[in-house]
Amino acid sequence: MGESHSGLRRALRSEAGKGLTIVSPPLVYSLLLLAAPLATIVLLSFWTQQFLTIDRTFTFANYEEALSDPLYRELMFRSLRISGMVTLVTVVTAFPIAYFISFRVAPNRKSLWLFLITIPFWTSYLIRVFLWRVILAYDGPVNGTLLGLGIIDEPLGFILYNANAVVVTLAHAFAPFAILPIFVSLERIDRSLLEAARDLGESHAMTFFRVTLPLAMPGVLAAALIVFIPTVGDYVTPRLVGGSGGTMIANMIYAQIFDLNNRPMGATLAVLAMGTVAVISIGLILLTRLWTGPKR
Amino acid sequence: MRGGGLKVYAILYLAFLYAPIVLLPLFAFNDGTVIAFPLQGFTLEWFAALLDTPALHEATLNSLIIAVSVAILATSLGLFAARAATRYKFPGKPGILGFIMLPLVLPEVIVAISLLAVLMQLGLDSGLWTIILGHSLLCMPFSIAILQGSFANMDQSLEEAAIDLGETPLSTFRLVTFPLVLPGIIASLLICFTISLDEFIIAFFLSGNEPTLPVYLWGQLRFPARLPVVMALGTILVTLSVLLLVVAEFFRRRGLKRAGLEDTGGFL
Amino acid sequence: MKDTTPPPAIITLDDVHKYYGDYHALRGISAEIRQGEFFSLLGPSGCGKTTLLRAIAGFEDISSGHIQLNGRNMEGVPPNKRPTNMVFQSYAIFPHLSVAQNVAFGLRRTSMSGDEKKRAVAEALEMVGLKDYGRRAAHALSGGQRQRVALARALILKPKVLLLDEPLSALDKKMREQMQVELIKLQREVGITFILVTHDQEEALVMSDRIAVMFEGEIAQLDDPELLYRRPNSRRVAEFIGMMNFLPADVISVSDGRAEVEVAGLGRAELDAAQCPGGAIVGAARIGLRPESLTILFEGQSPEGGRSAEGVVEEVVYYGDMTYYDVLIDGAPNKVSVSMRNMPGRRVLERGAPAHLAWDPRAMVLFS
Repeated sequence: MGESHSGLRRALRSEAGKGLTIVSPPLVYSLLLLAAPLATIVLLSFWTQQFLTIDRTFTFANYEEALSDPLYRELMFRSLRISGMVTLVTVVTAFPIAYFISFRVAPNRKSLWLFLITIPFWTSYLIRVFLWRVILAYDGPVNGTLLGLGIIDEPLGFILYNANAVVVTLAHAFAPFAILPIFVSLERIDRSLLEAARDLGESHAMTFFRVTLPLAMPGVLAAALIVFIPTVGDYVTPRLVGGSGGTMIANMIYAQIFDLNNRPMGATLAVLAMGTVAVISIGLILLTRLWTGPKR
Repeated sequence: MRGGGLKVYAILYLAFLYAPIVLLPLFAFNDGTVIAFPLQGFTLEWFAALLDTPALHEATLNSLIIAVSVAILATSLGLFAARAATRYKFPGKPGILGFIMLPLVLPEVIVAISLLAVLMQLGLDSGLWTIILGHSLLCMPFSIAILQGSFANMDQSLEEAAIDLGETPLSTFRLVTFPLVLPGIIASLLICFTISLDEFIIAFFLSGNEPTLPVYLWGQLRFPARLPVVMALGTILVTLSVLLLVVAEFFRRRGLKRAGLEDTGGFL
Repeated sequence: MKDTTPPPAIITLDDVHKYYGDYHALRGISAEIRQGEFFSLLGPSGCGKTTLLRAIAGFEDISSGHIQLNGRNMEGVPPNKRPTNMVFQSYAIFPHLSVAQNVAFGLRRTSMSGDEKKRAVAEALEMVGLKDYGRRAAHALSGGQRQRVALARALILKPKVLLLDEPLSALDKKMREQMQVELIKLQREVGITFILVTHDQEEALVMSDRIAVMFEGEIAQLDDPELLYRRPNSRRVAEFIGMMNFLPADVISVSDGRAEVEVAGLGRAELDAAQCPGGAIVGAARIGLRPESLTILFEGQSPEGGRSAEGVVEEVVYYGDMTYYDVLIDGAPNKVSVSMRNMPGRRVLERGAPAHLAWDPRAMVLFS
């Protein structure tokens, strides 16, 4: 009874139908405000601009220029270098913290520690970066302390307005992003595995290297990606503490669009930056899989 | 003492994390026009100066309008996504959800210029509404992450029990689902509000001639004489953010308790 | 004394099928569940018993077939409009409400006055032994108390049928046994039809008037507990319910449903039609024999019917009240399990000891 006309109703009432219906508002939103805009800049990157008029002829001219001009190349490489450095520093310094919270902190205190670590992240990014300029300044507290302790005779000039300052500032900004995924992967490790390793005769250190670290690798990888990807495109930090030697690709993208009035070139650089980051990220994921996956 | 060494390291790391925030009020209350040591003495002058800066008030109003709208829009959209993610299986689920969560890792500059490009191509002027749309995109993944926790913690048979006892799907949502995920909704609203209030890049690219608070701040950073005032403003902003966070965390924990669960550290 | 005419059906399942994509979860279920009985759906996990229960409740659409409840076809009737209520496996006690609010949850849509509701809640709580618990917060209850709240909440609406989805699986052994007894009493008291889903054969045997044993989306056998235990209609049912020994046998002749068989190690036996639930055909078969239907004879004892066999004890497992022996009967290809009640003055045999076994052909079941 009613089986012939209930087909569509059933499809909509089925779990897949309901799921798709419910996910559609956020999905449509993301399609309109993320997918469409991303497609637009890809399109834009194949056009050219003379003063205020955009020439809509399809051309690779922007890409040729972006890839051959040493200035763009240098900025791209520098961005990747700085981000790579930030990623390395952040992940290496974050791991012991995640390890400490997961293995050494009492279970009922863990959420307090995590909360303490995430608080600074929620405060104004702009102000935090600016304060690093104050901290690292010629007459700032770092130099002040070192002078006061008699470790140096003259304020250090090389700690601000260069790539080092950018690395320190970004490592600070992205610390919670690195700590949380590593912590989660450490929490997932069955503690009896570590006892099993000890029982089978491994030392604490070797247990760490043969059991804990390999099992935490997914978290480490996630941490590395979650730090690396957004930092490549950071704008504020290089502007405030980077000086001329710390300028990165995002600053150039901004300049192309707003100062040089060359939106297609800005779009091209953005697409190139995204592409490079995507390729490196996928490479990193594959490499980690190869390294930690079951050996044949 | 491995544990001891690690603990010292952890405390030093916390000091590193909090260094900028601790310095902020020092300079905000410092009676000197230069942001440098040694400190000169206590003053409220810079806070007073905030009061008679009309441009600042305008920016604050803009920011509040944006943040409130974003909190509501992003949380509403997040509710749908979190519900779909925790309750239903559907084709393409990981891809669809991954795509919605993408802004979490995408460089903000990319999001900002692509939105800008669309506006320019459509010949539209940017304004508060464009920032609201951009910020909501950015906040949605955070909202989803929080609400997913709330939904996942809720036993699915609770809803079935309500329906079994005679309630309609709609009244079930009102009587059971909503009260149980309410703490998560409040936490999401607060977090989205905070993110939007602090967000700079998208606002910077899309603000046009209606600056938000961070955009206003950015403009002030160029004038050394204005820096102490910026410090005062920053102190207020940071205090506000921390307060909102503490409240959000309170609601998250209350949600856990309501669902009768132990707090295992918040992320598992 | 049993009534000769069974009470009328409250639920009629007619060729019910359920597909999840390609997966065929229910494969043509037909059965009648009678008014006022305690009915169990028993089977291993994944056999479709929970799916069937949820289909009756209305939480699963069925792909084809009919479910009639109280004379009404349930197609298209949502769970909130069905005269069934459910006790969920997790109990689904609303954590944001008090015990009394939980119990009163379903009364919101009734026309009862506030006072009537209060009285109904108090009665329901008293019925499940939680008289003064109304004001308690729901999340502060123990497992057994949650179970009782869930029962009170479901029964307060006086459903035609109460559905129980593995309601005792979350309780420890002692509590489980206590709740089994309470559930039986409660069911007798309220006279409502109970349908219980369980994977625990002992629980089903203890509690049910009738049991449907399910495998892979089909009902393998539907009978009362005693028949199910004594006359399982397939090896699978026999193995799932209790323990069953199998010995190869030869069916020599069949007449009027009665079969003459030659059982390896035990010799010749005559089985009546009821002992051949799957029918009897001349040729190779197997007979099944429960461990308690075999008896080890001690010095001075003789078999009542004169049927006996010789064997060797190969394994001894001591349970306190019982001892289980694995015995290899002379001439049998495989060991059989024999259970003996431990009694004063009866010694426990050791491995390797000779065993003199008595057996009764009336306890045998033939499987082809």
